[in-house]
Amino acid sequence: MSNAVAKKQQVRTPSNAWRHIFAWVLMVFAIFPIVVVLSSSLSKTGALSTGSLWPTNISFTNYTMLFTNPTIPFGLWLVNTVVIAAVNAVLSVLVGVFAAYAFSRLRYRGRKQSLQALFLIQVFPSFLALAAIYVIFERLGKLYPIVGLGSLGGLLLVYLGGSMGSSAWLLKGFLDTIPMELDEAAKIDGASPSQIFWQIFLPLTTPILVVTTLLSFIGTFNEFILASLFLQDVNTRTVAVGLQSFVGGTFGANWGPFAAGSVIAAIPLVALFLSLQKYIVSGVTAGSVKG
Amino acid sequence: MNLIKPSAISAVLKVMSLALATALLVWMIYTAILASDFIIAGVLLIILIGANWVYFSKKAVASKFLFPGTVLLVIFVIVPIIYTAWMSVYNYKTGNEITKDQAITQLKLVGLVPDAAGTTYDMVLGKAHGQNAVLLTDQATHQAFLGDANKLTPLQPGSYTMDKLQKAIAAPGFTVASATDIAASNTWLSTFTVPVSNVRFVSPQGSDVAALMHEKFKFNAGLTQLQDTASGVVYVDNGNGNFVAKNDATKVLFPGWRQLNPAENYIGLLTNPKLSGPFVGVFIWTISFAFISVLMMWALGLTLAIAMDKKIKFRGFYRAILILPYAMPSFMSILIWAGIFNGDYGALNNLLGLHVQWLNDAWLAKGVILLVNLWLGFPYFYLISTGALQALPTDIEEAAEIDGATGSQIFWRIKLPLIFQILSPLLIGSFAFNFNNFNLIYLLTKGGPTDVLNGQTAGATDILITYAYKTAFGSNQQNLGLACAISVIMFVIVGALSMWSLKRSRVLEEM
Repeated sequence: MSNAVAKKQQVRTPSNAWRHIFAWVLMVFAIFPIVVVLSSSLSKTGALSTGSLWPTNISFTNYTMLFTNPTIPFGLWLVNTVVIAAVNAVLSVLVGVFAAYAFSRLRYRGRKQSLQALFLIQVFPSFLALAAIYVIFERLGKLYPIVGLGSLGGLLLVYLGGSMGSSAWLLKGFLDTIPMELDEAAKIDGASPSQIFWQIFLPLTTPILVVTTLLSFIGTFNEFILASLFLQDVNTRTVAVGLQSFVGGTFGANWGPFAAGSVIAAIPLVALFLSLQKYIVSGVTAGSVKG
Repeated sequence: MNLIKPSAISAVLKVMSLALATALLVWMIYTAILASDFIIAGVLLIILIGANWVYFSKKAVASKFLFPGTVLLVIFVIVPIIYTAWMSVYNYKTGNEITKDQAITQLKLVGLVPDAAGTTYDMVLGKAHGQNAVLLTDQATHQAFLGDANKLTPLQPGSYTMDKLQKAIAAPGFTVASATDIAASNTWLSTFTVPVSNVRFVSPQGSDVAALMHEKFKFNAGLTQLQDTASGVVYVDNGNGNFVAKNDATKVLFPGWRQLNPAENYIGLLTNPKLSGPFVGVFIWTISFAFISVLMMWALGLTLAIAMDKKIKFRGFYRAILILPYAMPSFMSILIWAGIFNGDYGALNNLLGLHVQWLNDAWLAKGVILLVNLWLGFPYFYLISTGALQALPTDIEEAAEIDGATGSQIFWRIKLPLIFQILSPLLIGSFAFNFNNFNLIYLLTKGGPTDVLNGQTAGATDILITYAYKTAFGSNQQNLGLACAISVIMFVIVGALSMWSLKRSRVLEEM
């Protein structure tokens, strides 16, 4: 036994150099586009033509342009994105935790079947039904313009449609870890299931709900395909659709402001992500959280 | 301590929110009925009754919690999926988007041609019996008529006033329009016609001349075929949403209509060379792209996890940098990479002094896509591989060493199969994700390069989902039916893959 351990250490000691080299090579790969985008954002000309990664004339023109040039309403895009991602995150987690409570705690006829059905439905990405969603919302929009194509309201409804699948499933796992004795004690005190939910479960799960809400926020921020289908008007776009639309195809002309916009939008998200790292890592190992 | 508070307030809140929801739904149903959209009205009515029943009933406890999510799921996920399947069995594309009745109405309207005799009239605008009317004089025969939207009435010579050129300028019961009325006449004149017979009518050509026109197409009684009255060609319903010439099926009349034709899209994808060529190519690339991506990401992620499995110096720092690609918003990273590889302005060409059109060559573009996907995905695989390495039982390694296994044998024969087993659901999940990785392809290459001049509809890097998107929302021809058929095929593949993975992981039995 001790012999084996000693042998293992002997074999492993000299091999640390390759670990460092490997890490450094990969770090260069990982950080290369980030350096490029930072450098371009600070360069006066959008400077990809200098042949150097270090910006030659450091200036903030690209940043100020985002908030002064009326053809790039970047501020509006940010507001749209934050509004839709926040509203969706809160509502979908609320809807999700309702459902998760029923799945985790209540026993009713058809529970197992409905769980299985939900599991199967949520593996289908809803954007596969893109053409159908388009036709349905075209029709809805004629009656209720607030949820039609081109509206943030309609996009929100499509996102919420998926909340049962994603949030409920994730939250059920968390609720399952809360001991049953709690509900039983409350039941003996004469609490109804709604009271147990609002007064015991919700306060207990608040930290988890906050994390799930933030993860959902990040997910919506990244969503492109449905948003690009819905948001055609330049002023209703999200950051994802907006940045794509003004950089797509014409990299030369708009690269500088695009880089600046990316930096502004990425910093809070990367910070959010790194601060939630612990939860995301346990989330990805358990299932999948972020696409 | 009694935690449970009295529920009077919550009861009031509940009734209030239900009342609000009911009021909103009633208004929405009312709007739908006004627009005679009874399907939407019906669905909303069911939701209205369901909500009130669920929340006032004492029994349906679980439903109270499941109701909002289920309604959203059914309407915005399940209905679109069913609708996709339904659209996929229709010939539903640009030129075939409306119903048959609408198409026939449009065909009747568009096909107006001047009468064979070339009859034209001088026209005076005015009113008769309070309606817009015209006083017409046949330019060849000088016969005068009074015409309104309902009929054309011949006037007896002498019963009306004419000018020196024998043109009728006033008649009893007809009020000649004033100059201002004439100026405002184009609001009604453009749609104004005077019917002469079933297929012939007088149509104004400006504000003082009119011509005798007839409909180009004469329909038979059952609306199953029609005849071009000028050329005599007979057109028949081809059963696929269009009228085509009886003796030449390539002479198609537009607009057509959406026609139920279950086999058209699916069989077409396999047998019609115009569709099957791109479809098979895209299909093969989709599978290889997803498979190679997962393999590369996993190989790199696992190697990194092994390298970082030991407490080396700066491990925390390395780790923070190495998961940056995963922390960046992915749509943004993809756009940044697209800029880096841009052939004209891209950072890579500038830094290396090259002039390579990275994204204009089919194989280079494929390579770039795999590389960018590797960048996006390796941190995720690093994280999950680290988890798997830590989950490996340590005594196995010792047992193998005692049995005389070498280091590489232990890795390849024992550790790797175990890790694979632990990670296989996530590997399958990642495969399914990449199978549908719309953002990567669309934002990086838009599916291109596409040889449009040679009539290519699918680009070299298009995967099924981007191909379906282009098919449905492309710029020149939109084929919703075909796009839905491709989506259905993808549903089946992704669904089967997930089912298989679920069966293996036995999640379904543990619920």
